[in-house]
Amino acid sequence: MGDGIRIEFSEVGKRYDERVIFRGISGTVKPGSILVLTGPNGSGKSTLVSILCGLLRPTRGTVKYLVGDDEVERWEWRFHLGIVAPAMALYEELTAHENLRFFARVRDLKMDDDDLNQILETVGLDPRRTTPVVGFSTGMQQRLKIAQAMLHEPEVLFLDEPGANLDPGGQDWFEGWVAAYAAAGGTVVLATNDRREMQWGMNRVELAG
Amino acid sequence: MSSLLAEALAVAAKDLRTEFRTRVALNALGLFALTTLAAVSYTIGPYRIAEADRPYLLSALLWVVILFASLAGLDRTFVKEEESHTAPLLRLSAGPHAVWLGKLLFNLGLLAALMVILVPLFIVLMGLPLVLHFGWLVAVLAAGGFALAVITTIVAAIIARAMTRGALFAVLSLPLLLPLVIFAIQGTAGVASGEIEIVHQSLRAMISFGGIMVVVSAALFPVIWGE
Repeated sequence: MGDGIRIEFSEVGKRYDERVIFRGISGTVKPGSILVLTGPNGSGKSTLVSILCGLLRPTRGTVKYLVGDDEVERWEWRFHLGIVAPAMALYEELTAHENLRFFARVRDLKMDDDDLNQILETVGLDPRRTTPVVGFSTGMQQRLKIAQAMLHEPEVLFLDEPGANLDPGGQDWFEGWVAAYAAAGGTVVLATNDRREMQWGMNRVELAG
Repeated sequence: MSSLLAEALAVAAKDLRTEFRTRVALNALGLFALTTLAAVSYTIGPYRIAEADRPYLLSALLWVVILFASLAGLDRTFVKEEESHTAPLLRLSAGPHAVWLGKLLFNLGLLAALMVILVPLFIVLMGLPLVLHFGWLVAVLAAGGFALAVITTIVAAIIARAMTRGALFAVLSLPLLLPLVIFAIQGTAGVASGEIEIVHQSLRAMISFGGIMVVVSAALFPVIWGE
C-alpha cells in the first residue's frame, strides 16, 4: 500500500441552487485511520463522500489527497480509491465474474480468471460467479460491490452504509476485513448511521442536517 | 495495444454484451428503420418516382430513415449508464477518453449493423440505382455513418443526465447533423447518378466534418463526463 494517502478537506460546502446541503466541513483522514461520517437522513453524508472521492465538486472549500507533502492530482484520484455505495450500481445484465473482469480491464489490471475467482471466493460469491447480477439479492450485490472496490487494492476506501443488506456473518467478515485494511495503512472514510459501524473509527465528522 | 485502446475496447465489449442481452437500442433502431422502410416502400415503391428524380429523392429518403433511426437509439449508450446508476462507478474506474472512445465504438457497431440490414433492403425495395461501383456507396455510408456516430455519441453524453433527455437529444443533434446529412445525401445521389466528382466532394466534406467532431468531442468529453 506504499506510504498511504492522507485526505485533507477544508471548509467544504455544497449547495444545489438555493438549498445548502452543508458548509464549513473540515477534517483529515490519515493512512491507517477510519473517519466516520454521521448525521441524519438528508444531511449530506453521501454527497460529502461523492465530493471526497472526486465525483462532485464542492461549492466551497478544498479537498486534497496527499502522499507525504506531495499532492495527488485530482484526475489521478480514481487510481487510488475504491468505493462501496448504495447509489453506485453494477451491471445487472452481466454476471459477477463479467463485472469484475470489466472493472479489471478498464483499470488496466493484469488479472486472469483465477485471480477474479479468488476475489469472488473472498466475498463468498464464488458459487454464483456465472449468475447475472439481476438475479442477486441486495446482500449479494453488496458483496460484489465490495469485491469490485478491493479489485485494484486501493490506498483509500470509501464506504457508504457498507453493512446494509449484509447478513450477520457478512457483517462480521467485512468488519474484520476493514480493520485489517486500515491496520495495513489503508485510509477509510465511512458514512453510516449504524451504531455498530460507528464504532469502527475513532475520528468522527457529524453533519447537522 | 495501448492502454487507452484496451480500456476503450473493454467499454465497447461491455456495452455490446449488455445490449445483446437486453436489445433495447437494437430494437429501437431496427424497428424504427424497418417500419419506416416498409411504409415508404409500400406507399412510394420503386416506380412512383420519375427515373430522373430517383437518385436524389431516394438518397434523401435513405438518409432520413438512417438519421431518425439513429436518433431513436444511439443515445442509449450513455442514458442507460445514468438510468441504471452504473455511471458513477464507471467514472471512478475508467479514464474519460476510454469511456468516450468505447461508447463511440459501440455506436459505430450499432450503426454498422443497422446499415448492413437496412441499405440492401432499401436498394431492393426502393430500386435505388447504383451507376457507380457499390464500393463508392459503402464509402459514403462509412464516412456519413462515422460522423453521425461521433455527433450522436457526444450529444448523448451531454443530455444523459437531463430530465427531458429524449427531446434534448433531437434538439441538440439535428443542427449538428443537418450539414452532414446534406453531404451524405449528395454523396449517395452521386453514386446513384454516376457523378463521381460529387461523390469525391461529399466524401471530403464528411471526413473533414467527422474529423473536426472527433477533435471537439475528445476535448469536450472529459468536462462533460466529469461534472
